[in-house]
Amino acid sequence: MALLQIAEPGQSAKPHERKLAVGIDLGTTHSLVASVRSGQAETLPNSRGEHLLPSVVRYLADELPQVGIKAQEHLVDDAANTVMSVKRLMGRGIEDVKRLGANMPYLFEACEQGMPLISTVSGQKSPVQVSADILRALVQRGESSLGGELVGAVITVPAYFDDAQRQATKDAAQLAGIQVLRLLNEPTAAAVAYGLEQQEQGGEQEHGTIAVFDLGGGTFDISILRMEKGVFEVLATGGDSALGGDDFDYALAEWVREQRQITDQLDLAQQRFLLRLARTSKEALSQVESTRLSFEGWPGDAIFADLDLSLDQLNELLDPIIGRAIRATKRTLRDAKVSLDDVAQVVMVGGSTRSLRVQERVEELFQRPPLTDIDPDRVVALGAARQADVLAGNQTGEELLLLDVLPLSLGLETMGGLMERVIDRNTPIPVARAQEFTTYQDGQTAMAVHVLQGERELIQDCRSLARFELRGIPPMAAGAAKIRVTFQVDADGLLEVNARELTSGVATSVQVKPSFGLSDQQIADMIKASWANVDDDRSSRSLREQQVEADRLLEAITVALAEDGERLLTAQEQQAIVASMEQLVMARNGDDHHAIAKQIEVMSKASDAYAAMRMDDSIKRALAGKAVDQL
Amino acid sequence: MDISQNYFSGYGLEPSFVVELGALRQTHRALQQQYHPDRFVTHADDEQRRAVQITAYLNQAYQTLTEPLLRGIYLLQLKGMDPLAPTNTQMPMDFLLQQIELREAMEELADAHDPEAAIDTMTAQLKAQAAQLEVDFAQAYTQKEFENAQTTVRKLQFVVKLQQQLDALEGELLD
Repeated sequence: MALLQIAEPGQSAKPHERKLAVGIDLGTTHSLVASVRSGQAETLPNSRGEHLLPSVVRYLADELPQVGIKAQEHLVDDAANTVMSVKRLMGRGIEDVKRLGANMPYLFEACEQGMPLISTVSGQKSPVQVSADILRALVQRGESSLGGELVGAVITVPAYFDDAQRQATKDAAQLAGIQVLRLLNEPTAAAVAYGLEQQEQGGEQEHGTIAVFDLGGGTFDISILRMEKGVFEVLATGGDSALGGDDFDYALAEWVREQRQITDQLDLAQQRFLLRLARTSKEALSQVESTRLSFEGWPGDAIFADLDLSLDQLNELLDPIIGRAIRATKRTLRDAKVSLDDVAQVVMVGGSTRSLRVQERVEELFQRPPLTDIDPDRVVALGAARQADVLAGNQTGEELLLLDVLPLSLGLETMGGLMERVIDRNTPIPVARAQEFTTYQDGQTAMAVHVLQGERELIQDCRSLARFELRGIPPMAAGAAKIRVTFQVDADGLLEVNARELTSGVATSVQVKPSFGLSDQQIADMIKASWANVDDDRSSRSLREQQVEADRLLEAITVALAEDGERLLTAQEQQAIVASMEQLVMARNGDDHHAIAKQIEVMSKASDAYAAMRMDDSIKRALAGKAVDQL
Repeated sequence: MDISQNYFSGYGLEPSFVVELGALRQTHRALQQQYHPDRFVTHADDEQRRAVQITAYLNQAYQTLTEPLLRGIYLLQLKGMDPLAPTNTQMPMDFLLQQIELREAMEELADAHDPEAAIDTMTAQLKAQAAQLEVDFAQAYTQKEFENAQTTVRKLQFVVKLQQQLDALEGELLD
């Protein structure tokens, strides 16, 4: 840093005029706040020197809520009023929360928008309110450490967070009175913390690809970023929301159980004993080649002999679990259309990447040692702090610009419950796309617009983001109205949708707000399932399409028969048509799209002659009574 | 930044099928640096909104100009043609037969002795086809043979779709 800064009057950034901004890692188990001071990003501790704030809030009857360690201490004795892991509930509906379930001891109630509310002694709390309380504690810590009011914060979110989850996070910040400078993807923040864009500026390469390997206690995220001239782009994200370091402990505990043939049903204390034994031996093996496991203090009558565990044995137990993360990594690389050789750097995030075996396997895959210098628990907050410093306007010159992509495809419901994609996953944002639709029935004056997010083809497998109606379409023949639906996604990944009927100019729009949703697990499943179910989706899509076609045909013929069937057809002809209609209805209610297609053909043939008769008839009527020169 | 102009002029280019991708990328980055909403965080709402619009436009333009298929379609659209209109379905018979053969070959890939190698071979085949079609298109377009150009773009779309299916198949096989 320069010791002496010379500046023209009115142009300088005097130290006290420096704008105060923080980066916040709002995590599932713990949160952090960081800032750039004297050119260095650092996480800010509380008065007792603790950096990590447990993401736990305890509500009290007549006092302000407790946040952090104080609240954590009451997780057991005041479980109903002490809220943890609220990040899993962000942007979720009450139904999803019930499914998330059993391990959440709270009393949930739904409010009008379907958001889950937690009943506490200080009233009902939404996940957004709980997050706001955590954010308030972090902002207070930031303001007292930095000695002034903050202009704003960069808050990190998982790269796969969908629109509702991002919106809920932004709402929480608003509720806490913080200006959000930007929602930033966690992996991007980690790459920024390592200053990877500067490394590249120094040198040999024009651009580079970075993999961010984030293994937490219960989730695994892998992101592929590309950087060029200070610009970061998320090429693809993937992972497994049910894979984490906790699985290491479970696997080892299970092994111990098998070795000592503990076959009885374990009580809670015994389970905890085994898990603790697993964790301490796992940690011991990061220093030594083998360790001895002792059952001293076993909460039960049985007596077990000590057990030896070598590093090789431990690795053998961990390998299948790490293998799942490696496979997810390869899949995501394919998604990003990037080969292993293209990856210039691998960044490690999350406490479980401290495991040496994890580091070895990652090195083996990429053929290069991963970056582990920065504390994997703090790296995300540090990167967010750097970005906050840039956005607040404290840096000049070649500035860091972070570009993101859409995590999940956005689309609309079309006939037959199908999702029509409007913007594909991994499209760079901000983005605006329009799609044109038309009316289905004669004289239709309104159209329902149902906005969806996800990778599957049937709407029930996607997440419903919003529903609204475009009204006042002038009555026209089916297919004549042109409705253009425009999706606009901003730099934070938040969506706005508007619909306009082009011939009349009737328009309506919505800012998509969190309504109902899916669990994190479901999001990960949705992405996985979109691969696993390609065939299934295709045949169900064909089935729906044929069903829609069948319905359309049946409706048209029913209407026609009611109008002029008796007049134009003999009883025998009518019967033949009705018989083929019955055949079609039966096929339509089955699940074989080939059979429906065949019956549609039969039905069309059966009604061809009738359609020709109707055409002739309507021409005759139109011409009736008109002189030739009037035509 | 005038977003009512065509995509090429936004990047200081004349409409052409031949685009220097490296230079395009550089210009795109420079424009992003200038217009991205992050540059307007502390500005008024309407300026922020405009930044979102311009950047969305740039992203769309960049994607269109970088992908040969989209670029070809766009060039013809600028000439008032719609090469992908549902009425434009006439394709030369020999091309269709070739596509059917490729499709059949793809369906048998999963049972091949070495599926990975078979996929690589086919990918190379499709790449060569696409490259040839791009050359054909560039020629037809510069010589103003627009009917020919439209047919070529439709052929290219067949090849691109086949490649997408092949990528999906590869994903399934390697998992």
